[in-house]
Amino acid sequence: MYNLVMKDLKLAISPFFLILPVLLGALMLIPGWIYFLVILYFCWITVPVMFGQFRAQNDLLFTSMMPITKKDIVKARVIVMVILELLHVGVAMIFSVVNIYLYPDLTHFFFGPYMGFWGLCFIMLAIFNVIFISMYYKTAYNFGGSALVSIPAAMLFAGVAQWIGIASPVVSDIFNGSGVHNTELQISILAAGIVIFVALNMITYRIAVKRFLKVEIL
Amino acid sequence: MLALDIRNLNKKYPNFQLRDISFQLEKGYIMGFIGANGAGKTTTIKSILNMIHIDSGEVRILGKDIAEHETELKQEIGCAFGGVDFYTRSKLRTLTEVIRKFYKNWDHDTYYNYLKRFKLDENKKVAELSAGMRVKYNLAIALSHGAKLLILDEPTSGLDPAARDDLLDIFQELVIDGEISILFSTHITSDLEKCADFITFIDNGQIVASSEKNELLESYRLLSGSESQLNQVKDKMISYKVNSFGFTGLIPSGDFDSSSGIRAATPSLEEIMIYFAKKEDMYV
Repeated sequence: MYNLVMKDLKLAISPFFLILPVLLGALMLIPGWIYFLVILYFCWITVPVMFGQFRAQNDLLFTSMMPITKKDIVKARVIVMVILELLHVGVAMIFSVVNIYLYPDLTHFFFGPYMGFWGLCFIMLAIFNVIFISMYYKTAYNFGGSALVSIPAAMLFAGVAQWIGIASPVVSDIFNGSGVHNTELQISILAAGIVIFVALNMITYRIAVKRFLKVEIL
Repeated sequence: MLALDIRNLNKKYPNFQLRDISFQLEKGYIMGFIGANGAGKTTTIKSILNMIHIDSGEVRILGKDIAEHETELKQEIGCAFGGVDFYTRSKLRTLTEVIRKFYKNWDHDTYYNYLKRFKLDENKKVAELSAGMRVKYNLAIALSHGAKLLILDEPTSGLDPAARDDLLDIFQELVIDGEISILFSTHITSDLEKCADFITFIDNGQIVASSEKNELLESYRLLSGSESQLNQVKDKMISYKVNSFGFTGLIPSGDFDSSSGIRAATPSLEEIMIYFAKKEDMYV
């Protein structure tokens, strides 16, 4: 399984996608932006290009010839997705600290880059993964359909969450107002986001394995 | 000991069916797997490797059931579908570094010996290799992880005669010690005449024959004669062609009466394949 993850990182994924999180993370320096967009770029750019590469490079046949189980193939792919997502979120978080120092007195109209917001990002990525990966493993090569469903789903979550964040004074207060300085509340939102992220990825893995076991490698 | 033992394998698709495929390959021999395009060669090979879910049947490799011991057996199988056609923009060195990690018995010295022998440059990208070199790279990988059974799908297709001959010599050298067995599919019958010990012939999803090469050739007769002679044997023939000089056709040896006066010869593998393919056309 470790070998498969390394195979993806060394062979299948262009180093560009390991540097891209830094370029995208720098977008966190735009003051008062919709910061969900920074993470959504992962879904818009990295995922379709990466899975297009897997298909173009005949990765499925290559992997199937190796002495490994189909379960491990899926597990490794989920882990690779999670690694890239953590890289995106992690780098963006570092830039968000710079953001807070650069603009200490900024009033955020959209969600500010605080811990509660990162909790929401984890939930958004969890929704993306559960739809994208489980749909993808119906064929293990067709990523277009799964991207067309999972990307709007992630955007819808971000849009609705952001809308509530603007429309509801209570929510706005938690994410941008005085609640932001309530460390316990912020940590618990982030922790809840991480728990949902882990749980949904485990469900994703199970669904994907079940589907991939039925796939015939042609 | 059997390197490969396939029994009653069935797989149904909407427009195609593998029916009751059974054949065995003894350890240390080369078996050619022949059939026309679309006869079911690749489907059978993918079923053997558990890449396709069979409806029924049993595939045993080196005495073990592939469905139960897939990962363990894949350590001992080298397989190739044509040449290498994955990660073609990567250097051989990079690809090998990734692949070797998957195999317990990887031997780097053996790998370098084969690179040298096959004149492969590790710093070249897969895309820079010729078709023949790609097959050789695949073989080098398979042999370096100590594969006991090589399952090769059309390894010689697309190679020039010299490269094919070179590859066939390599196959023969590999089986000399009796440790390695090779199953390779092809539609180039002359390859098999050169190096196969056994032939398995598949036609329209069914095994027509699986036997020692000469035994297979001897089990058919190629007849030629006048149109009036054709009527004597017409019903027993697999198929025939009529031309202005008379007819030529294929008949099972058992159904041919040598006292009939019709000229008979031992057919080549190619002729057997052609007349079996023609049989389908005649009944369509």
